[in-house]
Amino acid sequence: MRSPARLAVLILGSAVLTATPLSAAHPIVPGFERFYSGPDTEPAKGGTLLLGELNCVSCHAAAEGTKKQAPVLDGIGTRARVSHLRKFLADPQSVKPGTTMPGLFAGDPDKEAKVEALVHFLASTGSVKQTRPDLKATIRGKDTYAKVGCAACHGPRDLTGEPAKQAAEFAVPLGDLKGKYTIPALAAFLANPLQSRPAGRMPHLLKPNEATDVANYLLQGTKLNVPAGMGTTAYSYFEGGWENLQDFGKLKSKLQGTSVAFEIGIAKAESHYGFRFEGYFRAEAAGKYTFTLSSDDGSRLLVDGEKVVDNDGVHATEIKSGSIELTKGVHKVIVDYFQGGGEATLDVAIEGRGLVRQPLAPLVAATEEELDRKPEPKKNEKDDNALTVRPDLAEKGKGLFLSAGCASCHTLLAGGKPLVSTATAPELGKLKPNGGCLAETPAPGLPRYDLNAVQRRALAAAIAKPQAAPTDPKAVIANSMLTFNCYACHARDKVGGPTELTDKLFTTTTPEMGDEGRVPPPLDGVGAKLNPDYLKQLLDKGADDRPYMHARMPGFGNSNVGHLTAAFGSVDALPSVPPVKFAQTESKVISAGRFMVGAQAFGCIKCHTFAGNKAEGVQGIDMLLMPKRLKRDWFHGYCIDPQKIRPGTRMPTAWPNGQSVLPNVLDGQAHTQVEAIWAYLGSKSPQIPAGMGRKFMPLIPRDEAIIYRNFIQGAGTRAIGVGYPEKLNLAFDANELRLAMIWKGGFIDAARHWTDRGDGFEGPLGDETLRFPAGASFAVLSKPEAPWPGGNPRDAGLKFLGYSTTKDERPTFRYAFHGITIEDFPNPSGKENPTLQRTFTLAADRRVDGVYFRAAVGSKIEPSGGGWFRVDGWKVRIDGAEPFVRQSDGKSELLVPMRLTDRTAKFVQEFAW
Amino acid sequence: MVSYLTQDQPMLKYRWFLISALVLALAGGAAAQGKRSKADEEDEYYKLLRFETPPGEVLEAGAIEPLPDSKVAVSTRRGEVWLIENAYASDPKEAKFTRFAHGLHEVLGLAHKDGWLYVTQRPDVSRIKDTDGDGKADRFEVVAEGWGISGDYHEYAIGSKFDKDGNIWVTLCLTGSFTSDARFRGWAGKITPEGKFVPTTSGVRSPGGVGFNAEGDVFYTDNQGPWNGACGLKHLTVGGFVGHPGGFKWYKDPAARYLGAEPTTPKSGSRMMTEAKKIPQLNPTCVLFPYGKMGQSAAGIDCDLSGGKFGPFEKQLFVGDQTHSTVMRVFLEKVNGHYQGACFPFRSGFGSGCVPVRFGQDGSLFVGGTNRGWGSRGTKPFSIERLAWTGKVPFEIHEMRAKPDGFELTFTKPVDPATAGKPESYVMKTYTYIYQSAYGSPEVDHTTPKITKVEVGKDGKSVRLVVDKLQEGHVHDLTASGIRSVDGQMLLHPNAYYTLNYIPSK
Repeated sequence: MRSPARLAVLILGSAVLTATPLSAAHPIVPGFERFYSGPDTEPAKGGTLLLGELNCVSCHAAAEGTKKQAPVLDGIGTRARVSHLRKFLADPQSVKPGTTMPGLFAGDPDKEAKVEALVHFLASTGSVKQTRPDLKATIRGKDTYAKVGCAACHGPRDLTGEPAKQAAEFAVPLGDLKGKYTIPALAAFLANPLQSRPAGRMPHLLKPNEATDVANYLLQGTKLNVPAGMGTTAYSYFEGGWENLQDFGKLKSKLQGTSVAFEIGIAKAESHYGFRFEGYFRAEAAGKYTFTLSSDDGSRLLVDGEKVVDNDGVHATEIKSGSIELTKGVHKVIVDYFQGGGEATLDVAIEGRGLVRQPLAPLVAATEEELDRKPEPKKNEKDDNALTVRPDLAEKGKGLFLSAGCASCHTLLAGGKPLVSTATAPELGKLKPNGGCLAETPAPGLPRYDLNAVQRRALAAAIAKPQAAPTDPKAVIANSMLTFNCYACHARDKVGGPTELTDKLFTTTTPEMGDEGRVPPPLDGVGAKLNPDYLKQLLDKGADDRPYMHARMPGFGNSNVGHLTAAFGSVDALPSVPPVKFAQTESKVISAGRFMVGAQAFGCIKCHTFAGNKAEGVQGIDMLLMPKRLKRDWFHGYCIDPQKIRPGTRMPTAWPNGQSVLPNVLDGQAHTQVEAIWAYLGSKSPQIPAGMGRKFMPLIPRDEAIIYRNFIQGAGTRAIGVGYPEKLNLAFDANELRLAMIWKGGFIDAARHWTDRGDGFEGPLGDETLRFPAGASFAVLSKPEAPWPGGNPRDAGLKFLGYSTTKDERPTFRYAFHGITIEDFPNPSGKENPTLQRTFTLAADRRVDGVYFRAAVGSKIEPSGGGWFRVDGWKVRIDGAEPFVRQSDGKSELLVPMRLTDRTAKFVQEFAW
Repeated sequence: MVSYLTQDQPMLKYRWFLISALVLALAGGAAAQGKRSKADEEDEYYKLLRFETPPGEVLEAGAIEPLPDSKVAVSTRRGEVWLIENAYASDPKEAKFTRFAHGLHEVLGLAHKDGWLYVTQRPDVSRIKDTDGDGKADRFEVVAEGWGISGDYHEYAIGSKFDKDGNIWVTLCLTGSFTSDARFRGWAGKITPEGKFVPTTSGVRSPGGVGFNAEGDVFYTDNQGPWNGACGLKHLTVGGFVGHPGGFKWYKDPAARYLGAEPTTPKSGSRMMTEAKKIPQLNPTCVLFPYGKMGQSAAGIDCDLSGGKFGPFEKQLFVGDQTHSTVMRVFLEKVNGHYQGACFPFRSGFGSGCVPVRFGQDGSLFVGGTNRGWGSRGTKPFSIERLAWTGKVPFEIHEMRAKPDGFELTFTKPVDPATAGKPESYVMKTYTYIYQSAYGSPEVDHTTPKITKVEVGKDGKSVRLVVDKLQEGHVHDLTASGIRSVDGQMLLHPNAYYTLNYIPSK
């Protein structure tokens, strides 16, 4: 923003912070604060803005001049609390600093009685409803408020919904929302602000569910009531970075308490945390109950101490179920959960005797005693909303509404007829520059706006030198952008746009798109760019066409800003592109357009979504929106020379220096090719371009093993997957030097990593997957009873050396440990129903005692004949060494002591499952 | 507005169009359409030969290394290593591709020594060998690990060939290209001949390639983004900091303690030269590649040490660009002890997004391409190509050196003194970029210095530009379209972009 007033405004801004007389509460008109409150600004221009925004011309008639329609007061009783109306009407500026509403009874000895009469009158239009706050909605609302654009005009807010500590420049104040609104009242307003405020200064931005969320957020009580009764769980909250669920019973929690059941929203961080939720549930009948966990990341559910559902691991939302037989009566439920990074969700469901599948949360309580207690309704705040409307006072109030000046600005239908003000005031042209409302202390009976000195000076100048309403479209645009505070988000002609402070409020899902993807665009040239129909609609109703940009365009209402469509169109022009004459049929042209957009040609779809289908890298604006949004000539200009229209854009061109990179398509001319793409995008039901979407790329070992090193789910970031032709597969975790998983059937689908940017972890393609616990496979134990070491195996001395392969690519992993080189050769035992045999060869360069191999860990290990051991659901056998079972740390372990004769040892570990 | 061929027009007419279109296509497209493309012009001097990769195989090139037995090794993003036989044949169709190794984790660096092929892959530097002579690698040994991976796809590890001391240099991209969530993300380091990873330089953001100049000093390219207003070529030194402070926490890691305390965090919104004066470890970007004019994603680097087999640009650097599918040329000099210099357009029209560039034994330049996940002008999803000098010397700006009062340009051919000696033949503007934590930067602080005098050198192959108001820290953007050679040729590429970090005193 390079307005000449900028420095002045900054100085003024700091003056505001240092509590000089200028900082006293005064009506805030954002355009005036930003552009006309400094010493070097043109007072007459600023004053003209104020004449409209403060509605002076509603009383002081003028030949010209816009006025901002005041809020429609129909049904005001359903929107605002009586207690608020009472305080506000008595002294608006002290109840809501920055309000543009004047006080009509300042200095009036009868103020209290008059205000009370008005309150009765207004309350006769209805009364407010109340609802309980919703914690989940509050959390969503905080997010919505911060992201979609509210903060650009109203300033950032903190966790509790209060204005954030840092100064909010030119922010439109919201006043004491808790005092004025109830949640449903505020939600109704936010869902359709233009209904009661048709002037559109507050535009429409939120969907109905978002309106409820934001209302919950802004109207938070000072302390969240700890609920009692059904629908609660006791919680312990932990922080840490894990790849699996921890034993939360053993860890030290950061926070404990009772909350809404299974509510992870109370976490203090966005990632790297965990919860243990404990609650009690009453089974009305004995029988089988099925519990379902849907979570991102991992979770598990225990009933009466027994694990029923295991949904562990780092993963996007996955759903797992488990069943258990329960007796009739009370049972304890524990749900453990952890969050790595990214998305976080947890939902718990139950199904069983007499219960169709439903959320478990309403059926649990934090303690047994509370199981049958219903949640208490919140003790109501002192209800100064209670008002029995007295008809005599209401009648008096109605009279005041007409005579005191309310009806000059506010419309209100009484008995179906609009109320007409009886207040009078001199015409604008006849006013003196320092009397009336402009006096430092206006006489009683005159509207008191609490103007500051700058505003009074500006208004005086505007009255002395009336400015004609702009007719030149350029001036019309500037005037509208000023009036509607478009400048809070948009710059045009180097005026306005986010300031250094407010710039930080704009966020994006995709930082690599730069400011193009984060900040609302400057409006230079918008009339040449956007289709008038589209522009009209987005000005009227708003738009949200850039999914990566959190801020969205609000709707200001056609009656307020509809005129801008023609104004932009007439001011902004681009060179027109002559019509294109094709030498091919329409279907061939469309086919060429489709080809050019696809992955085999210009690759537009690498960055742009198409009909909602995802692009390869960034998710740029959808291509099918283009013919709706854009003007054809602009499309031509931008495709061929994007840097000219938007310097610094990441958009590349397929026609560098005007020359196509594919000169063989159609006639090779830039405009022909662009026109063909335009025709394709605008055609009826265009077929999706080639190369969109992820295919299935299973790696299938036929004669040789296939090795696949990448991020494998369950085997870490240094995973080595091996698929064998015998349809056995394994994943070795080279971070922890252990066999992480073995499975049967399909090896792995490479599509995730070999398509687009290859993001994320891919799991086994087949099934019958055995996952082995974390921890080193080899350790030195001081004695056979010593607990197996935890921590990172590399810290315990294990070093990964690599692997060698047979002629048919079967690897032998090699690692070193305390001077011992270990070779680990896994191989299927044969073609028919093979087991997996792992041949270990150890060679030490020195004598090492106390080396053990941990062959298995489980809850129960017992011999099962033929040398096999049954470990929970699978079997393991050791050949060439003497394994033994022991209990350690609440688990069973199968340990194999290494006896290195001549410093070598060899044994085979075999898995059957 | 638009008109199509309609179905009921006489078929004969349509057939004529169809045939002529076919003829035009067979004739090679653009040439018949009118003006020659730049790539066609450049082809006269440097021929672009495209290899045919085996059908059905995907070779998204990550690194290239010529081998002593005349084969050329190419590694891919899918973790394979392929060997090309007859890579130097004048007809690229004669080349034969065989797969040497597979199952590696995204190999973006290759270096050969003593029969071992060293691969820089995401988790480590390993070396591989075929010990049983069946043409396939069977021995895979870890050489050095030492950095962290969090599971984010953007955490690339890009490795060099061997430097003169037997080290391999590795640059480690930031997590997501924004933060440093794993050990030494945002750093560069070397793997010593003993197999130890030694972190040397902080400040790396999103590297595209790493290579050496003729003196054996190490350079890498970084990409436009936070703390990088545009892509640039940067010099890696032990103890240096090259721009992005995201990885500072690793100064406390035992492996980096020998470097001492972390540098002061630069102030966002400033200029690189301003911060460089305050932060002694900060090495300003040696050569900026102005965004949109000189590519948008700088990548692989190699130096022409062919002794003249690749034309007149001996000892200069060649840098690939993944978005523009081009190879750019860089001339470096040292001023005040720091490397800086100019970049010039060199060759366009590559098949995919250029990533690795590497000179072969015969002085031709191998260029590998991939554009999966990003866009490129080259429309192929991957490509392996070879650029060979035709023997014809193009008329180009050869070198551009900074002087206390301007610049000295040398040319590949003698210039026509009348055009080359006129200040009006040259247009110069300067600008720089904001050094800030926000993503990229527009060109800022524009100035238009005046070229007050031009002197043609006695050998007729150089000019001395006297320029008033040189701007320290600015790109000096020169267009010399007015110059002609003595035979009346125009410069093949009239643009040069000199990053004037330091103005020499003599």
